[in-house]
Amino acid sequence: MAGSIPGSDLAEGAAGLARPAAAPARAQRWKGLRRAARARLAPLGAAVVMLAVLIALAAPLVAPYDPLAQNLGNTLASPGRQHLLGTDNVGRDVLSRVIWGTRVSLLAGLVSVALAMLAGSLLGLVAGHCGGRVDGLVMRVMDAVLSFPPLVLALALGAVLGAGLTGVLLALGVVYTPTFARLMRGQVLSIAARDYVDAARALGASGWRVAARHVVPNAINPIIVQASLSVAFAILAEASLSFLGLGIQPPQASWGSMINAGRGYLQQAPWIVFGPGAALFATVVGLNFVGDAVRDALDPRTRD
Amino acid sequence: MATTEPRATLDVSRRDFLLLCAAASGAPGASLAPRSALAADAPKRGGTLRVGFYIEAATMDPHLSGSKIDRQVYHNIYEPLVTLDVKLGIKPGLAESWQQPDPKTVVFKLRRGVKFHDGTDFNAEAARFNFNRMKTEPKSVRKGEVASIDSVDVVDAYTIKMNLKRPDAALLATLTDRAGMMVSPKVAQERGPELERNAKGAGTGPFEFVEWVKDDHLLIKRNESYWNKQGGPYLDRVRYRPIPDDTVKRQSLQTGEIDVMDYVQPRDVAAVKADRNVVVVDVPSLADFAYQLNHTRPPFATKALRQAVAYSLDLEQIVKGVWLNVGVPANGPIPPTSWAYDRSIAPIKRDLARAKAKLAEGGQPQGFAFTMTTNNIPINVQEAEVIQAQLRDAGITMKIKLVDSATLISDGNSKNFEMISYQWSGRPDPDGNTYQFYKTTQGTSLNWSGISNREIDALLDRSREVASQTERKKLFSELTKILQDELPMVFIVHPIEPKAFSPKVQGYEPIPDGMMRFKDVWLV
Amino acid sequence: MGRLVLRRLGATVPVLLLVTAGVFLLLHLTPGDPIDVMMAESVDATVKENLRRELGLDRPLYLQYAAWMGRLLQGDLGRSIRNGEPVIENVSRRLRPSLELAVYAMTISLVVAFPVGIVSAIRRNTAIDRAGATFALVGICVPNFLLALLLIFMFGVTLRWLPISGYTDPLEEPWNGLRSLALPAITLGLALAAVVTRTLRSSLLEALAEDYVRTARAKGLSEWRVIWSHVLKNALIPVVTVLGLQLGTLIGGAVITEYVFALPGVGRLVVDAVFARDYPLVQGVVLLIAIGFILSNLVVDVLYGWIDPRIRSR
Repeated sequence: MAGSIPGSDLAEGAAGLARPAAAPARAQRWKGLRRAARARLAPLGAAVVMLAVLIALAAPLVAPYDPLAQNLGNTLASPGRQHLLGTDNVGRDVLSRVIWGTRVSLLAGLVSVALAMLAGSLLGLVAGHCGGRVDGLVMRVMDAVLSFPPLVLALALGAVLGAGLTGVLLALGVVYTPTFARLMRGQVLSIAARDYVDAARALGASGWRVAARHVVPNAINPIIVQASLSVAFAILAEASLSFLGLGIQPPQASWGSMINAGRGYLQQAPWIVFGPGAALFATVVGLNFVGDAVRDALDPRTRD
Repeated sequence: MATTEPRATLDVSRRDFLLLCAAASGAPGASLAPRSALAADAPKRGGTLRVGFYIEAATMDPHLSGSKIDRQVYHNIYEPLVTLDVKLGIKPGLAESWQQPDPKTVVFKLRRGVKFHDGTDFNAEAARFNFNRMKTEPKSVRKGEVASIDSVDVVDAYTIKMNLKRPDAALLATLTDRAGMMVSPKVAQERGPELERNAKGAGTGPFEFVEWVKDDHLLIKRNESYWNKQGGPYLDRVRYRPIPDDTVKRQSLQTGEIDVMDYVQPRDVAAVKADRNVVVVDVPSLADFAYQLNHTRPPFATKALRQAVAYSLDLEQIVKGVWLNVGVPANGPIPPTSWAYDRSIAPIKRDLARAKAKLAEGGQPQGFAFTMTTNNIPINVQEAEVIQAQLRDAGITMKIKLVDSATLISDGNSKNFEMISYQWSGRPDPDGNTYQFYKTTQGTSLNWSGISNREIDALLDRSREVASQTERKKLFSELTKILQDELPMVFIVHPIEPKAFSPKVQGYEPIPDGMMRFKDVWLV
Repeated sequence: MGRLVLRRLGATVPVLLLVTAGVFLLLHLTPGDPIDVMMAESVDATVKENLRRELGLDRPLYLQYAAWMGRLLQGDLGRSIRNGEPVIENVSRRLRPSLELAVYAMTISLVVAFPVGIVSAIRRNTAIDRAGATFALVGICVPNFLLALLLIFMFGVTLRWLPISGYTDPLEEPWNGLRSLALPAITLGLALAAVVTRTLRSSLLEALAEDYVRTARAKGLSEWRVIWSHVLKNALIPVVTVLGLQLGTLIGGAVITEYVFALPGVGRLVVDAVFARDYPLVQGVVLLIAIGFILSNLVVDVLYGWIDPRIRSR
């Protein structure tokens, strides 16, 4: 729906807007990143994201209970000393499930975006570099993917691959791919027109060598920006897909599947939704802070 | 959606449930109906009743319908030859009386003066047309139900004679629902394919079809020339609306946007009962919720392993923890509402020692792993998680595969599963909860488990031939015992289907088939 | 401009071919078939086989696709397998609620986003700006279905200001219609407002850094005046892009919102059709959604040219 997968389209809108970095050179990028670190909200965002990553890695150590241990005699217990975030509808500790769910949710975000980034960048590079028919073909396919309703894609892929996280990861990966492809292609076209690239060619460097040496390093900035924002959307999208019953298989949990399982209890036991909801919200906000700061830093035109 | 129909609801204590069953199966007439102090008032005409359903109806043609929700609408616009009373007894409907001169012949005397909503007469020709249609229409889903009918003869304008291929003790009960519903031959002939979406003029019931805007609403209005002058219909109109989200549907009732909801989720029962703006009626159902085990491939080709699973399950805990006692543990396919239910047979009890012994006997002393396929509905997921934990205690590892209904049905039909959820909405005659599931069959059928057992086949056939209810009850008891041993399914729960009403709604009579008939309902 | 539009329309043909072939393939790879779903209670296998043959579902995939394409070229989208209704009728009935909801949601998002975005840009890096940024994030970061349920609980159940489910057509009963669509429109509109706010703020900042703005400031114009007369129009381009892209998505993609609020829109239709494996219906709806998406992109491009004549020459 518009909120989640739509995330993908929101991201798509932003991608269309990202401007190519004006100046080449790695040094510039690092300077930019330092600037990002100075922005006020970025450290907070980075801290939240780091914390989420740490929690995901250390889940077995920090979870107070076995996330799968049920207690049908103690269902829907409200938060208290025993269970800091209460228990769910089969008496499992919500906090422990949120902690373990961090793994699944982060993984969902990172893997799907990594897939899209790799596939999209590669396709965009090929399209931009080769031009002509190849360009036309690749970009038409990307247009087709863009105009395909994302939910239908996810539903069908989920059903084809069998329910489970794999289908969702692939579906999200496919949905986000055109964003990166378009971005990369735009970068390639604009960078390829610059003088130093012409110079390199004149010196006899092969086309692909130019691409690898000069184009890719310079095109990578907006890709990074886009990726950091896309991860946030992908985490949200996973949550919304679980609304339709796609994604992680029980008894494992992602934040999205926990929110979905708990939504029927919003009045009796809001903590089932509150725990994963807060974790999801904090992480997505954190990723956005980081992504925005990086974008501001890398794009000189929005600098103050 | 079709087979996985009801999802049960209300929070009723065990004691309440037994009382309910008693009311439904034994106690005289009293029904559960009049619920508020105002019930003593005389019924009032007028008003629109707004009903919330959990999914959209599929078709308006009763002969092509495979979905429970369709029946909710049908029972107000169409009428079957015979109908059910609150005790599941058979009473006259469009047929005034019937006789069985021999086991393979049934003669129905049809009611005179009944007209379809399109103005044509209901008579013997119309009845014969309907049965022929059910038997020959390519998309008919009724073929199996009317399979025992060889031919229908018109004796006179208001008498038909059914010639059966074999004795069929379940036939009358089958004719209380879609297989007995009469559609105007004129409508079927002139607007056949359109009947699926537009039932204007097609029925004889207390209400007439007006319009159906898919996913938005379905409207019916009072039949001003209804043949039965006793009681209703009182309501001007009934407006059905699909509200797919359970929580939103419940809230719509609580805020007065709808007057009736078809089903309350177990988790909401307590909250709804505590709400003074809502009246809850616990309707015991005919349903049978179970898991089919695949007998045609490992691991459940081995009987001992099926038994190991059954002995590992704690039904009491599932019914209490997942269903919140809105239902009772199942001892077999026949629900407590049925005359054939045998109280003396206990549901299978959890016995881990025995389960371990069976594991050893089945050659898997260390336990084994298998996959359960189930529908992606919250309560199914919850039940699957609890079963998973219970089996783990016995060393059995169960993976859960969540699928949508279409995949579930396709996996079942092609026997592409090890254990699969099966939620049957139930039929008034025990035959409808047993025969098609356990009888040896070739090719696809509802016998997904693939069980083929001569003893069971003989019992099932016999139960159709014997006319005496006492005799049949004995046969079904015997069948239940064999099923508990052979385990084509592990039986879990017979759910209750609580329905909730605004206090304005009066005169609703809960019949255990779960259908809401609004003929005698009125609004204060 | 006319040539641009024509060229772009020509380019949509291969895209649509790819989309339809993609849906076709995916759907048929999905387990389950429409006949099984429709006749779940039927025991008779030969009946099902006959039906499949009658509908051509037993033929090789490429033949089925060719047949569908052939009918499409004659303007026939086919009929629903489930209930025989022509696909085109089904979709056109659903389009109205979906469009109304999309426009409503966009209106809400603009009403919220413009003041917040402009103030954030002018008072950048102040507390107001950060409050605006936080608001925008809340809109984006709350899963849609959760936001919907919270709104229902607050405005429907507790305050009882607005109805919580069902659809009344605002074109027939304006007041009741607007009320019936209010909560879903807010649900969608908030997420959209968040995006528009962010886009507007960053494009305003960019425009403010341009030379002509400095000139205007140097002339002593107030910041508000500068924004109003010089900056806003240029900053609108990205906003139009975002909205244009969203329109296509909102029409076919508001599945969860339509589901929660029980609205008879296109999004719910397509998901229900997938669950029922109603092949012709899914194919038809996906094709129309794709066309809608492409058209809205085209409109965006045309609007570009109108807002910024420099783009026309490209």
